[in-house]
Amino acid sequence: MNDMRVVERDVTGDDIKMRARQVQVYYGDNHAIKNVDVDIEDKTVTAFIGQSGCGKSTFLRCLNRMNDTIDVARTEGDIRLDGEDIYDPKVDPVQLRAKVGMVFQKPNPFPKSIYDNVAYGPRIHGLAQSKAELDEIVEKSLRRAALWNEAKDRLAEPGTGLSGGQQQRLCIARAVATSPEVLLMDEPCSALDPIATAQVEELIDELRTNYSVVIVTHSMQQAARVSQKTAFFHLGELVEFGETGKIFTNPDDPRTESYITGRIG
Amino acid sequence: MPNSEHLVSSFDRDLEGIQAMIMRMGGLVEEAIASSALALESRDLELARTVRAGDKAIDKLEETVNEEAARILVLRQPSASDLRTVLTVFRVSANLERIGDYAKNISKRSEAIIDHPPINGATSSIRRMARQVELMLKDVLDAYIQRDMDLALDVRARDVEVDQMYSALFREYLTFMMEDPRNITPCMHLHFMAKNIERMGDHVTSISEQVVYLVSGELPDDDREKEDRTPYDPGLEG
Repeated sequence: MNDMRVVERDVTGDDIKMRARQVQVYYGDNHAIKNVDVDIEDKTVTAFIGQSGCGKSTFLRCLNRMNDTIDVARTEGDIRLDGEDIYDPKVDPVQLRAKVGMVFQKPNPFPKSIYDNVAYGPRIHGLAQSKAELDEIVEKSLRRAALWNEAKDRLAEPGTGLSGGQQQRLCIARAVATSPEVLLMDEPCSALDPIATAQVEELIDELRTNYSVVIVTHSMQQAARVSQKTAFFHLGELVEFGETGKIFTNPDDPRTESYITGRIG
Repeated sequence: MPNSEHLVSSFDRDLEGIQAMIMRMGGLVEEAIASSALALESRDLELARTVRAGDKAIDKLEETVNEEAARILVLRQPSASDLRTVLTVFRVSANLERIGDYAKNISKRSEAIIDHPPINGATSSIRRMARQVELMLKDVLDAYIQRDMDLALDVRARDVEVDQMYSALFREYLTFMMEDPRNITPCMHLHFMAKNIERMGDHVTSISEQVVYLVSGELPDDDREKEDRTPYDPGLEG
């Protein structure tokens, strides 16, 4: 099945942005991720679906080494960004996270102004040489997150004063401010109302012209709407990975079928 | 296809409901085929009128099936085999409705030729042909409800026989018309009846393809052999 959205942009499976091979994650004795191989394509939205506790968020967090922050977590295997091993001791996780940004389930703006929320990343990474340049990055990021029109007259107000949907778009603006190459989103819409959800989904669709987006979602409809590739995780394993239209109309694995049709697995 | 039930059991009831309506529609259409052919052969005006009147019930069922299927699409947002179930319900109900229309048309033509003297053996061949399509329809409905792809493919292959029967009747009616111009009116009607039955066979074939899609997620792609050669070889030599 050919997804029109992929065809129109002429993306081939050769444009691999991130490549994971034989990834294992252990939380202490618990083997949470087992032998996961996955290719994240460039300029494509990849959705991870599966039941709670299936490992999809854990795997997502491997992609920018967020699991490093958990003491008992141990990651094995090979994950490469543009061919470079992201677990190489020479790689600085903070630099990595500027390239592989993340948006979380609950909007978590810093208790700072809207401006400073977006300017935070570029400042610590030294991406702007002047105030004017920083202003430009802030405006561009807010525009990309479709928040500029609502926020431009209140840049000095606290980010926490925005509505939930605006806060989440602020977090997206903050994530894109460092010009990441990959954007990881862990349930970005679960705390949002349907209108804000639609705005974020529209945004995801626009973001994929510049970035690879990987989204974890519990909403199968959302996965079907926003992604071109879907990965189904079950009990720590990657059961099926393929073109989204195929997964949702005719999946190969009976476990995928049971999950997406809402049957007892 | 997973046999286990949905976590939301009303979803199962909805899906069973639309398929039950398809089966009810199928039953009515089978009956319409048989009755229209019988009415023709036995010159039963009353039965022909019953078939014509009965088509309304089939049309009404199609409407209900489509409404219910649309409701499931919007309320349940089905995926994978559930989605295919709903999509095929739309297609199959349309096919059944068309077959019902053809049966109605046969009855209309039976009424038109009821005052003409019978032509030797012509109506019994129509009835044999109708019987063949009726059996194919019965089998394809079994294949549909049992998700039996082999049976569906078997039905699809049997359409060749219907096409052959049509070609034979086409030549036969030409001969009758050449023998005696008074045969032209009834033979024109009979020919349209044969053509209607041939088209019914095509709709049954389309249903079998839907069964294949329902089970496998893909339509059968190889082109079937076409046995109706009448467009190229009118057989005027008899």
